[in-house]
Amino acid sequence: MKIVVCIKQVPATHDAKIDPETKRIIREGIKAILNPFDNYALEEGIQLRDQFGGEVIAISMGPQKAENSLREAISVGVDRAILLSDRAFGGSDTWATSYVLAKAIKKIGNVDLVICGKQAIDGDTAQVGPGIAAHLDWLQATYVMAVDEISSSSIRVKRMHEDGYDVCEIPFPAVITVVKDINIPRVPSLKGVLASKKYKIPVWKPDDIDADKSKIGLDGSPTRVVKTQPPPFRHASTKKIEGTPNDCARSLLKELRMRSII
Amino acid sequence: MLHHIRNKIYLVEVLPPKQDSEKLEKDLEKFSNKYTRVMESGYCACITDNAMGLLSFQGPEIIEELKLPVMPEQVMIHLNTFHRKDDLDNILESCKSKGIKYLLIITGDGSDRLPKLRPSDVDTTDVESVTSVELLKYINREYPDSFVLGVAFNPYEPEEHEFEKMERKIKAGATFIITQPLIEKNEVVDRLIKKYPEIPVVVEAWMSRKLYLLSEAVGYEIPENKEFDPISTLKMLHRLYPECGIYLSLLGFKTQYHLIKDTWT
Amino acid sequence: MKVFTDNEKKEYRNIWVVAEVLSGEIQPVTHELIGAARTLADVRKSEVWVVVMGSGIEKTSELLFSYGADVAIIVDNPSLFGFIDETETKIMKRLIKKYKPEIVICGATTRGRSLIPRIAVMNYSGLTADCTGLSIDSDNGDLLQTRPAFGGNIMATIRSSNHRPQMATVRPRVMKSPEPDPSRTGRMIKEKMIPGDSTKTKNIIDIFHNTETAVNLADAQIIISGGRGMKGPEGFKLLKQFAKRVGGAAVGASRAAVDSGWIPYAHQVGQTGQTVQTKVYIACGISGQIQHLVGMQSCDLIIAIDKNSDTPMMQIADIAVVGDLFEIIPEVIKEIANL
Ligand SMILES: Cc1cc2nc3c(=O)[nH]c(=O)nc-3n(C[C@H](O)[C@H](O)[C@H](O)COP(=O)(O)OP(=O)(O)OC[C@H]3O[C@@H](n4cnc5c(N)ncnc54)[C@H](O)[C@@H]3O)c2cc1C
Ligand SMILES: Cc1cc2nc3c(=O)[nH]c(=O)nc-3n(C[C@H](O)[C@H](O)[C@H](O)COP(=O)(O)OP(=O)(O)OC[C@H]3O[C@@H](n4cnc5c(N)ncnc54)[C@H](O)[C@@H]3O)c2cc1C
Repeated sequence: MKIVVCIKQVPATHDAKIDPETKRIIREGIKAILNPFDNYALEEGIQLRDQFGGEVIAISMGPQKAENSLREAISVGVDRAILLSDRAFGGSDTWATSYVLAKAIKKIGNVDLVICGKQAIDGDTAQVGPGIAAHLDWLQATYVMAVDEISSSSIRVKRMHEDGYDVCEIPFPAVITVVKDINIPRVPSLKGVLASKKYKIPVWKPDDIDADKSKIGLDGSPTRVVKTQPPPFRHASTKKIEGTPNDCARSLLKELRMRSII
Repeated sequence: MLHHIRNKIYLVEVLPPKQDSEKLEKDLEKFSNKYTRVMESGYCACITDNAMGLLSFQGPEIIEELKLPVMPEQVMIHLNTFHRKDDLDNILESCKSKGIKYLLIITGDGSDRLPKLRPSDVDTTDVESVTSVELLKYINREYPDSFVLGVAFNPYEPEEHEFEKMERKIKAGATFIITQPLIEKNEVVDRLIKKYPEIPVVVEAWMSRKLYLLSEAVGYEIPENKEFDPISTLKMLHRLYPECGIYLSLLGFKTQYHLIKDTWT
Repeated sequence: MKVFTDNEKKEYRNIWVVAEVLSGEIQPVTHELIGAARTLADVRKSEVWVVVMGSGIEKTSELLFSYGADVAIIVDNPSLFGFIDETETKIMKRLIKKYKPEIVICGATTRGRSLIPRIAVMNYSGLTADCTGLSIDSDNGDLLQTRPAFGGNIMATIRSSNHRPQMATVRPRVMKSPEPDPSRTGRMIKEKMIPGDSTKTKNIIDIFHNTETAVNLADAQIIISGGRGMKGPEGFKLLKQFAKRVGGAAVGASRAAVDSGWIPYAHQVGQTGQTVQTKVYIACGISGQIQHLVGMQSCDLIIAIDKNSDTPMMQIADIAVVGDLFEIIPEVIKEIANL
């Protein structure tokens, strides 16, 4: 079986601090990390390979420094890693990003299964996984919380929904996106990290994947971010309740009763 | 642990390199130097386990990779509940085969990237989440007589809660206690020592001047004090707690190491 | 990329809502979206259409008009009972080609977020995820979409004006549901499903309803949430007691509590959990980091209990109770019993 895992390097938003004056995120000093959800995609790919044989390949589109995330993938056990990096890819929205990734997957060839994380923590759209499936015209299963069975021609999974889950089977080739319930990702070992430092990561350009230049980057993207601003802040006048625990409890209940909540 | 107290052997904390280090080789070299220095002084090196939830390499794998010597009385590994089961078992196996016998068992801090042991991983069903107590029970069951297990005590937490937890830890097989850092006489610790006269207690000395870091580590506000001097505080702790061992956290290897040589007399 | 001319754009009219159907029932998010679409359609002097795909859905679709829909397109087929992304994509592609909507919006639910990106790619449409605000240019119909990104740390305004239809998803409970007007009526269009190649489709084997994982955060009027300040699973037992006393309140949690394993993930509120918009939200021992706030800040009344009065949560709260929650909550429970 040949599995491709798509991974994205993202800013560690949990490190992000808001500038109290400008209300903007302070970007300096924010580390770039592997998108947390993609750890689950990698782990699933590695486990499936270990169980059924074959090969797992990690791919990422991003700037040159995204190779660090690919190295992390190597350190936990993927067989190969490929970086898609070029000026022309810059500014891609989810349409163009999924186009580039789909083209790379075609180029790799004979891929049975593509695994993506549920969503990236920066763009936060969850659109790239289904987008890749659409570009390739393959079947998809999203929000996968368990892989129940796998054969040479199909995969059976549990999909999480708001009101429960379903079990469905899809023939290969297919794309799945995975949620955190699916596994417990391994942590890189020292041996793995030291070995990954020696791995040479190939870089693919638009021509290497036969990309139509009008479909990539900013020009190929149907959406435009026209402006960004800090989120609105709630302007509530806060009523403070202090005193002994019993005083607090009484005052709180008074407030709730006044609003006919209890 | 009585051996360490009787023979005035400091427990010296040594932080392993972080996973996201950009100069890993250098950090490994530094670790190796510190570890070797602690060994040569006859002290005991205590290697932390993803302290503050920061993803770091594990003590046993570093010792293995760098081929560092293990003297059984001179190495202690911290072990928390944020591991995959297979990693936990690997760490324990590796400690056993290397002759590492002191383990400090803590619940520990999590993070996005750190997996949490599930109750089923340590064969228990009666808790929602695994704490040091369940981990102690697991190790005692799976590796009887292989390890000497210690636990932590936080005198800054609500006292009743902390003593109740300590009782469970002792029942689960803990045989020594290390406190959170003290910077003065602490009545809660005094009561702890009194309550468990047969159990060796090690008090932690905060060797950094930065008290705000201490606040972050213990989860409670420690008032800033510009006068705070770690070395004289250490001497004071020796006077106040002569029956206790001493654990040195954030010891400056360049600036302080030579100063501690004759403080425990 | 092909850019539409103004004349080409003019061929596209009306605002579409793709209905969220679960087990044959249209979900409240659809009504919220109809409300939002109504506002846009009124600016454009056009109509609100709702596409309903499912099995046995004709009856429930009639209610759509009372919420403000003008037209309902019904694709009713037993094979649409479960969620088959590929089949629904094909249907939508055909309908879009046939009726040419200017805008298509859909709930940012697990189904919506799986279906719409597929449709958008097939159509070369821009798609904006998780919008919290939509406004429209009355002249040319260009949609301005506002959405949180970077974990709620920024709001981005996005347009995809080169193409039609423009597409967006909107999270449940972000838009207010309109009051239904039973006297409103509309047109129903029935469309057939054209069966595809069955060897190349998804086979749904089983569907499980699990209200345990839904935790009913969605349906609750009141949520009582606990954070790291709850100190452990025992703390959550206290919260559950509290919730019961308040009368069917649901229990939520911060990620810190979930990550500590004190309560299952399904209870998590926030950026990587659920967005809630309840009448009352009571945060107990939650400091209110931005990732938590984005999931609950549009609740009507926010109450915070924390021993530290300076936390972000205590600042945004309408009512801030300062003190040890392990002392206060038992008192509250006791006092409610005395009422
Ligand atoms: C503020 C802001 C708002 C945005 N809003 C939108 C929007 O509404 N609509 C839109 O179309 N674009 C939007 N974008 C652009 C979008 O972020 C990029 O297209 C990005 O490359 C992918 O989207 P995502 O981060 O949402 O990924 P998601 O779709 O959330 O990612 C899901 C999974 O896809 C895979 N994946 C995603 N990106 C890559 C990659 N580069 N390489 C390898 N695998 C990958 C990973 O497995 C990941 O877990 C926005 C960008 C910004 C900065
Ligand atoms: C990408 C990303 C996604 C995230 N998604 C989410 C999300 O979906 N939901 C979420 O919640 N978080 C999320 N987070 C985490 C978020 O950043 C915070 O870490 C988290 O919300 C903190 O939880 P907390 O407020 O419970 O803990 P803390 O910040 O530790 O706050 C605990 C509070 O309890 C108070 N307290 C302690 N003891 C008592 C007592 N006895 N009595 C009264 N008060 C007491 C303290 O004063 C403090 O204010 C996310 C982070 C990232 C990076």
